[in-house]
Amino acid sequence: MNNYKVQLILHYLDKAFEGPVIPMKEWDTKIIPKTVKGILKKYNLANTVDMENPINQDPELADRFFQAGWELALELGLYCEDTERVIRITEDELLECTRNYPDHLILGDGQDEVVMYPRKPESPIVPLVAASLGIVCSEKNYLPLVQGIVKYNKLVDVLHGPTLATVFGHSIRSGTPYETLMGNYESELKKEALWRAGRPGMACTGVNGAVTEYGHLGGAPAVAGHGNVTQSLLPVELKCTFSNFHRIIQGLNYGHKLRVGGFSYIGGYAGPPEGAALCNIANDLLISVIMQADYVSSYVYDIQLFGNCGRKAVWANSIATQAVSRNTGFMRNKIVNETGGPCTEMFMYEAAVGCMNHCVSGGSKTTQPRSAGGRFTDYITPMEAWWCGDVFKSCAGMTLKDANDIAKKILPKYEKKLGSPDKGLSVNECFDLDNQVPLENYRELYTRVRNELIDIGLPLNMVYGSWYMDRMAVRKDYSIVR
Amino acid sequence: MADILKKIGNLVAEGDEDEVVKAVHEALNQGIAPLTVLTDGAGKGMDFISEQYNAGEAFLPELVLAGDAMTAVMKIVFESMDAKTAAETKEGTIVIGQAKGYVHDIGKNICSALLAVNGFEVHDLGTDVPVKKFIEEAEAVNADFVMMSTLLTTSLPYLSDTLQYIKDTGHRDKWYFCVGGGPVTPEFAEKIGTNGWSRTAFDCVEMCKKLVKEHKPSDGAFVCVDSEA
Repeated sequence: MNNYKVQLILHYLDKAFEGPVIPMKEWDTKIIPKTVKGILKKYNLANTVDMENPINQDPELADRFFQAGWELALELGLYCEDTERVIRITEDELLECTRNYPDHLILGDGQDEVVMYPRKPESPIVPLVAASLGIVCSEKNYLPLVQGIVKYNKLVDVLHGPTLATVFGHSIRSGTPYETLMGNYESELKKEALWRAGRPGMACTGVNGAVTEYGHLGGAPAVAGHGNVTQSLLPVELKCTFSNFHRIIQGLNYGHKLRVGGFSYIGGYAGPPEGAALCNIANDLLISVIMQADYVSSYVYDIQLFGNCGRKAVWANSIATQAVSRNTGFMRNKIVNETGGPCTEMFMYEAAVGCMNHCVSGGSKTTQPRSAGGRFTDYITPMEAWWCGDVFKSCAGMTLKDANDIAKKILPKYEKKLGSPDKGLSVNECFDLDNQVPLENYRELYTRVRNELIDIGLPLNMVYGSWYMDRMAVRKDYSIVR
Repeated sequence: MADILKKIGNLVAEGDEDEVVKAVHEALNQGIAPLTVLTDGAGKGMDFISEQYNAGEAFLPELVLAGDAMTAVMKIVFESMDAKTAAETKEGTIVIGQAKGYVHDIGKNICSALLAVNGFEVHDLGTDVPVKKFIEEAEAVNADFVMMSTLLTTSLPYLSDTLQYIKDTGHRDKWYFCVGGGPVTPEFAEKIGTNGWSRTAFDCVEMCKKLVKEHKPSDGAFVCVDSEA
């Protein structure tokens, strides 16, 4: 337990008590915007968002963003809300982290073990798919829903899982014993679902309903072991709390890998898409060092659209992902926040653009779906997870140019509806949980949209195509620069 | 007169709290009516920054600073009015915070800043706020509204818990109780007996104005503002 990773985490935790004191309001409203603006200007990155080419085509621009993000990470550091102090890192520490970073990560156990690799833009390495995001589901649906989500081993590699609406019929209040109990209950239900699906060794990436560390405390013992993962999400870009440290320490206590994430918001403290992308890059670097993340889960989100499938967010995620992929070996989990609900064309279009973008830009893993923006109970079915797996894996090896051309054809099909997305149907209205198959309405829509997107060039015949296995061969085609 | 009012508007939009305070004192010393300072000076600035934010040309930090500047202006203006006029002019006093257990506060911060920019006196309790704290603060500042938001379903029970606590402690008729956030649907908001729900931060400003203008907390009205509907 008292290994080098723990020593490093303690070193940075100490810095949370020793770093420079800055009032939070000053950090939010002055330091972040001023520094981001200054660095964007210095590297000539202001107004580089390209609405006509949502998936970045310019590698030099991605590299410039990386250099700027590197500088931002070193200049700002990570702000600790609890102590109102800044955890700063040195360039040597950042370089050491990039040098010592693992060249692969094993998740799961036995026959259900999968391997995650760093990926460059356009990499042919097939990335991993985790499902689902934290969409609320009723207790009675939880087990068959999870069983369905993990049904196909070519589409879903890792279980993240929906969140429970209740625990034994009681509302779950975060930070209370209800949450602690829920943590264990969720973990046990997941294990049962994996066993029923014949995939008992599949990795679980944390207690999804754990809003606070209590849920993790309750759930981690049931899924202890090196193949599983603890997740810890920062509250906002370039900020952390003790709750983040609680979670990673708990994760280590139970032998977990660490997945630490943080979102950057277009329209938030970082400002425009370029600022959000820049902070996203700095987040990736800082989280890897300070939280000793085995992999980072960060992405850009558009506040005004409550998602990240609009052009600005697609571009910002594209440039940020490419920047880090091209210049480090860091593995990242990328998330698409769809707003359309299950059994809608809109969901399938949003997911197609988002997953294709993250795959072709160099994401090593995705966690999906966020059907209906995660706003409604039981608005998730296994079909959205399967669709995202189909797209994300199929796009391995695509060129950025092809992906951009396809994104430009799909975006007009849904972008005008982003402000008022199609809610879709709840699971019981479009999926047969008893038999683990879609109802006819969803089967028809899924097949129709899938064929439509194959016709416009999305390479969706790849997952089950003959050369799929060939591409599974490992290619260590990355290198660490600087 | 026009110059100083224009200056006040610009300073509010720029979020320069120190300078706008000086400019407001200067305007009042020139004999300009407090209400004019508020509506024709600061009000123009708040309109400008709201439009800029809506158009994606200004961002959260600018909004927060403009909200602070507007709050400072209102404090001086209301102090210079007689109590009756001040009460009639004031849009309302709001206690706002994130439900317990929830730490992602960017949506609430936007709401809070836009409300301040639009003339409400905002008391932001931040994140992870215990139920009782909302009531204590609302009593302390003589609030008109108690507003809560969350993005997570496991914090949803705290919304109804807070409302129930307000009822059980005999305060239900004193404050409008409004909710918002990702998983908070208008159906949920109405079902638990709140006074208002809004989809966006801009909708929230409209909802508050509508409630103040047309309803009392005691009449049990529910106002739903959804600009996307």
